[in-house]
Amino acid sequence: MRRTLSQSLSLYGGLLLIVLVIGLPFWWVLTGSIKLPKEIIQRVPTMVPQSFTLQHFEKLLQASDFPVYLLNSMVVALFSTAFTVLLALPAAYAFFRMEFPGRNALYKTILLAYAFPGVVVLIPLYGLFAKVGLIDSPVALVIVNVAFALPFSIWMMRSFLASVPREIEEAAVVDGASTITILVRILMPLIAPGIASVAIFAFISSWTEYLFASVLIVSDARRTIPVGFAGIIGQYQIDWGLLLAGATAAIIPVVILFALVGRWFVSGLTDGAVK
Amino acid sequence: MAGLSLQKVKKRFGETEVIAGVDLDVADGEFVVFVGPSGCGKSTLLRMIAGLERTSEGRVLIGGRDVTDEDPAKRGIAMVFQTYALYPHMTVATNMGFPLEMAKRPKEEIDRKVAEAARILHLEAYLHRKPRELSGGQRQRVAIGRAIVRQPGVFLFDEPLSNLDAELRVQMRIEIARLHQELGTTMVYVTHDQVEAMTLASRIVVLRAGRIEQVGAPLDLYEDPDNSFVAGFIGSPRMNFVDATVTAVQDGHAVVAAPEAGLVGMAVATRGTPPKSGTPVSLGIRPEHFVPADGAAGTLCGKISLVERLGGVAYAHAVLADGSMITVESRDAHNFEVGNTQLFGLQRAFLFGADGMRL
Amino acid sequence: MKNTTLAFAFVSPALIFLLAVLGWPLVQAAILSFQDVGVIGSEGHFIGLGNYATILGGRGFWQALGRSIVWVLSNAVVQTILALATALILNQKFPGVRIARTWIILTRIVPTVVVVIIWRWLLSSSGGMINPLLIQAGAIDRPVGFFATRESAMATLIMINSWRWFPFTTLMMLAGLTRIPGDLYEAARVDGAGTFQRFKRITWPLLHPTLMVLGVVGTLLSFNVFDVIWLLTAGGPAGATQTLPVLIYETAFKGYRLSQAATISVLTTILLMGFAFFATRAMAAAEADR
Repeated sequence: MRRTLSQSLSLYGGLLLIVLVIGLPFWWVLTGSIKLPKEIIQRVPTMVPQSFTLQHFEKLLQASDFPVYLLNSMVVALFSTAFTVLLALPAAYAFFRMEFPGRNALYKTILLAYAFPGVVVLIPLYGLFAKVGLIDSPVALVIVNVAFALPFSIWMMRSFLASVPREIEEAAVVDGASTITILVRILMPLIAPGIASVAIFAFISSWTEYLFASVLIVSDARRTIPVGFAGIIGQYQIDWGLLLAGATAAIIPVVILFALVGRWFVSGLTDGAVK
Repeated sequence: MAGLSLQKVKKRFGETEVIAGVDLDVADGEFVVFVGPSGCGKSTLLRMIAGLERTSEGRVLIGGRDVTDEDPAKRGIAMVFQTYALYPHMTVATNMGFPLEMAKRPKEEIDRKVAEAARILHLEAYLHRKPRELSGGQRQRVAIGRAIVRQPGVFLFDEPLSNLDAELRVQMRIEIARLHQELGTTMVYVTHDQVEAMTLASRIVVLRAGRIEQVGAPLDLYEDPDNSFVAGFIGSPRMNFVDATVTAVQDGHAVVAAPEAGLVGMAVATRGTPPKSGTPVSLGIRPEHFVPADGAAGTLCGKISLVERLGGVAYAHAVLADGSMITVESRDAHNFEVGNTQLFGLQRAFLFGADGMRL
Repeated sequence: MKNTTLAFAFVSPALIFLLAVLGWPLVQAAILSFQDVGVIGSEGHFIGLGNYATILGGRGFWQALGRSIVWVLSNAVVQTILALATALILNQKFPGVRIARTWIILTRIVPTVVVVIIWRWLLSSSGGMINPLLIQAGAIDRPVGFFATRESAMATLIMINSWRWFPFTTLMMLAGLTRIPGDLYEAARVDGAGTFQRFKRITWPLLHPTLMVLGVVGTLLSFNVFDVIWLLTAGGPAGATQTLPVLIYETAFKGYRLSQAATISVLTTILLMGFAFFATRAMAAAEADR
């Protein structure tokens, strides 16, 4: 399809606009984190950094608790991801490939999980966790993260499961495979991108979660990045350099993750979107 | 090796009755083809034999054993699916060996049986490839190979050739026939293509709307159809049906006439007692049973509107005086000219009542 | 295929988990709403519908609800426009389109605090980036306080939230767009339809179902946004950006009126579930008509 000049202009013009809108803020943050403090706050800001320094990052690593937060976030995110996948996969299979009474009704109920603000369950859960001594424990965070990630994850698995023709499962049944065998040896390899998508979604949800982390974790040593940061904002109100370095450091792990497996996540969302 | 028996089998999906009561006995080693138009229930019937669908009523027996409530894997059957249903992420060898793996057979037995099946199907060179690297015909053979290694009592084929192009279909048809000769296993084959049915089957089961219309050897169905549906379904091009009336009964034959179509009087043999004079009937004439008009038992008069010349044979589509169309076959292409009105001679015909039953 | 027990075994872990972690607290919140608990952990007595009377009778709830509605609607409009435009662009073929599709979601995968830091800094009235740039360009004389006034705070928050979320919506729309067969557009071109015509007669009608689903899901999600608002304005200035989730949080943790917070929660949940129920019904009816 040949485009006219005006069509090309609008297409690339729009594209440029989007790239700028999304990318510029990140660019500014990234470059800001390596600028000397005086360049950061000068009246006329610079697009391309004139100076270079790693002092903010040094301060971040040494003088703040950032490394601890990073570790905590990692641990919580990894466990949340693992449990989300473990629970979502069989459930999705049951909902979309098996028959049982109440299947539709149950599925709709699960989706209702998004029909209320997270803060609603925060209060009772806090009470519950307090009673069983789970306050200030990463376990509590994992539990909460999994709960909030599950419904969407199950929903995402749906289209991936649907893309495997039923006849392949039937052939396996005729070949004598048990349901578990079918799930593990036939379906799982074929829906690996789906599993990756769910894993990425769960990881990101956990990585960015703020509300529950802020309430359920009390001690500094257990804080995750989002909460730790909010704390740093309070402490070093005007040290922009440090903040920008912190922001950069918080972005990097997710960017790396996404560079590696991002395309599966995108295909997961785009394939799973339409009912 | 096993025979197969369906007893009073019915299937309902919700309110709709898809299979309305089927009784069938298949002898050990027979090649039976289920044939019929879309929606007649042939695939459903096959799947009930396989155990992929439960019967609503009735029993399924394989090798004399009642398997109605058994899982597919325990019925001693193997199935070749329309879309082959190969496991995309496994090699050809693993695909074919999978059923034996599930049965927990020792590795060397699996390897041996897979090699044997590969030999029979000329797949030895492809054992380590993945399905996506194979052509349609090759994939089909892998699917058949996967069925063979199970050494089942009954082979089930669900429209296996529909996804292949015309030339490949002919090739694979021959392969399947050869396979049956070599293995001798009972085979149940579902297709909507009556050419496949005629060439492969030892017996054909014609189905319509969940009921068996007729069961018999291919030539029996061709020569002696029980009703107009079977008569029209078997044989290509389709049988022509012309409305006529019985004018007289002579020597156990019915004399029919269709004056408007140019048929003055033709004696047609009937199975039973010929119907009374005045009865409206349907005259069935196969395109290949037309002959030159001189000396023929009966004639039809029509105007040729279209001629299809295939080289060795030609088909003329003619319009009769009452507006109905007939298809006439001739080995001599020069018999037909578009626009000509001419007489077509009838050599033999079938008689059907108003209800479609053979008279 | 038929194994009901196994199916239940597969579903149960997820189901029980959700019931325990989300279902039970909902019930608890409902119970709380009928009591008069203040600080977390303190004693509570049954007071029937007393809380409901107080909340529904006061102005706080209704004002927060109003702000939530403004929030949801504005976000919906801004995000839909941005997402649709972006999706249409990403649906074309051009070098780098795959990279674009993968990375567009960048703003969603970074933690909210990072988003907050970024925009706090960029929009800061002393330093930052936006203000100096605008001054340089001559658009304004003095730095603008983006979070200073009631209206600007809400507007700024809506912009930032949209910036964060619209790529997600974009991907969903993109999915819907990719499902429209290219053949239809080609046939339309042969029939003489121009770009706008093709959008109006092919894209829009076929994208409708996707948009409807997104509308419902998106509404629910954006209604419940908490962290962006809280971290940037804490509901201010002077409560100008206090949506219902913020109100709930403040009532519980700053106002130490737990039961009342629970009451607002219950009311909000009823509202949202009602919305979801009626919206899906309306959608199904609209689909049936087409």
